Amino acid sequence: MSQGDGDWALDLSHVAKTYRGGVQALRGIEMRVKRGEVFGLLGPNGAGKSTLIKILMTVIRPSRCQGTMLGRRVGDQGTLARVGYLPEHHRFPDYLTARQLLHYVGAMGKIERKDRVGRIGELLEMVDMTDWADKKLGSFSKGMRQRVGLAQALINNPDLVLLDEPTDGVDPVGRRDIRNIVTRLKNEGKTVFLNSHLLSELEMVCERVAILLRGEVRLQGTMSELIDRRAGYRIRLVPEDDMAAARATVGTVVQGGVELVNRELVLKTADAREVQPAIDALRRQGFTISHCWVHKPTLEDLFLEAVVDPETGEPMHVGAARKVRAG
Amino acid sequence: MLTQTWAMLVDAYRELCARKLFWITLGLSGLVVAIFAMLGLNEKGIAVLWWTIPVDEFNSTLMNKTTFYKLVFQGLGVGIWLTWVAAILALISTAGFFPSLMESGAIEVHLSKPIGRWRMFLTRYFTGLLFVALQVGVFTLMSFVVLGARGGLWEPRVFLAIPIVITFFSYIYCVSVLIGVMTRSAIAAILLTILFWFMLYILNTTDTVLLGFSGGRERVVEARAARIERMERNTRLQLIEAKKVEAGEEAAVEYSPTDEEIVAAMPVIARERASQESDQSALKSLQFWSGMMFKVKTVLPKTAETTQLLDRWLVKPEETAKLQSKAEADQQERQEEHGGPAMSQEAIVAKLRDRPVWWIVGTSLGFEAVLMALAGFVFVRRDY
Repeated sequence: MSQGDGDWALDLSHVAKTYRGGVQALRGIEMRVKRGEVFGLLGPNGAGKSTLIKILMTVIRPSRCQGTMLGRRVGDQGTLARVGYLPEHHRFPDYLTARQLLHYVGAMGKIERKDRVGRIGELLEMVDMTDWADKKLGSFSKGMRQRVGLAQALINNPDLVLLDEPTDGVDPVGRRDIRNIVTRLKNEGKTVFLNSHLLSELEMVCERVAILLRGEVRLQGTMSELIDRRAGYRIRLVPEDDMAAARATVGTVVQGGVELVNRELVLKTADAREVQPAIDALRRQGFTISHCWVHKPTLEDLFLEAVVDPETGEPMHVGAARKVRAG
Repeated sequence: MLTQTWAMLVDAYRELCARKLFWITLGLSGLVVAIFAMLGLNEKGIAVLWWTIPVDEFNSTLMNKTTFYKLVFQGLGVGIWLTWVAAILALISTAGFFPSLMESGAIEVHLSKPIGRWRMFLTRYFTGLLFVALQVGVFTLMSFVVLGARGGLWEPRVFLAIPIVITFFSYIYCVSVLIGVMTRSAIAAILLTILFWFMLYILNTTDTVLLGFSGGRERVVEARAARIERMERNTRLQLIEAKKVEAGEEAAVEYSPTDEEIVAAMPVIARERASQESDQSALKSLQFWSGMMFKVKTVLPKTAETTQLLDRWLVKPEETAKLQSKAEADQQERQEEHGGPAMSQEAIVAKLRDRPVWWIVGTSLGFEAVLMALAGFVFVRRDY
């Protein structure tokens, strides 16, 4: 279904950033994020994830950028009032209390004091920091700071929330709380743009993901699209069976081929009808099937697949690309 | 718009309150005012609480109590405490204002808000001056009370110290901001600003010395010119008298002694003229360098002259006339003892007072505007 501009929280094309010295952090990002969805951004260190977020938040000036955020061009200051942002490695002033920080960030977001007071109470409750509201941030642990950071990102009741490594330094309970908050935001119709290294976390909450590699989008799609496309049957035989012979047997009856991974036959189809001839052939040849199931790759599998050079099969070098100079 | 500005002001105030140095400076300010309140002047000398330190040359015969308190406030309170000690402490306290704002992890929170970078930069700059405004405000208020209670002078012009000291501090603070924005290091900002300030101090001292010596030399040249003229006139009259005796009244009427005859009759005139020539040449050279110094200072902030504006507006010259004459007499005495033309304190004061306020403040603010534009440009254009 074709969507109008108003349906995209983020609609980016040709986003590029070349730093002085010729380092190309981004090399033409094409990305679309629907309103109301939870979108995950993945990539190895130096892939350009934080640079992209900083461009959206006007912290970094792009070398080139076309596209919109919440229907307005990227870089429009007025739009920032409708966006919440939790930076990675944030440093909030130690001399402020959690409540004072939220007041300050809220005021910087042009929210009147009377509107802030109630909102701050709700947010502190949401991140379970009410008891610490009037304590100085200097006395907070990393996880507590992260909770307050999340609250400050939501102070302006934003339509779009960009969270850069929100679970960094947070314990399992905190991570679960943050996941719940993300789900709650989604239920409230807000768009959440998540950048995280914790793939399992993303897998649990994201509807769509994009994998960035060396400043380019390597892979993008809904979780079901990406995972189902790579789902396939796996067949395990008893240990006495000759796996090479079993592979040859299945290869003659199944289209798309079969691979042998860790003494398991890996078929590239998740369709039950297509796998029946393989089972029949194996049984006919006297092989004993111990397990047969549909294997779905995890986000980590997708990620590791995406960062492998398809030609060499070797992991691609992480980090930004260096500009190739003429001559 | 006001919500954001107010928030930044409140944040800066909290940041200052969180710094121990802010309270130390405020405490020391209180101590300085307490010492100020303890001092007094009587006919025997300087009074400290109930005791008197007898000083023959400095007592209530030299100036009245009101002038004494004004001078102590201007000279020690503003001239030394606020513009040196407290200014250095303020510089140390505020040097980190921009580097801390520009730290990775902190700047993102600010730049991601609907506020222009120029506005953020300028607001942050003005909140940096808040430190000095608070310190000077408290100090001046306390001093105002002491002046009223001890000196019997409820002088509202004392509060001119607040804008004057803030303006003075802004000259050096803009240097600290530029270095802070460029290097993102508070230490670099402190050290290089103090170095710059020291350079201004050297320039200012050189300017004052040149003004003093050129004033002193001017006085010598003028005095000698009058002396030479007097000697020439007297010698001419003596020669005419001699002619009258020698050749009669009629011949004397038409007689006009030549310069050679005058010099031959009074050889000291030749020596005086030679000294005058040498002094005039030295004066010309001093005036040239003083003019050069004036031009150099035109493009730089005039820290000392700015703080001396308070002296100009608070203390009338006639109030310190006796003190001035005494200083001048002391200087002349020293000159006679050591020989050669000395600096003229009177000339320094007069020439400095002649410098227009627009030149002192206007050109200094011009310098500040240029540096702020440069620092703002770097701040606004930078990727964080």
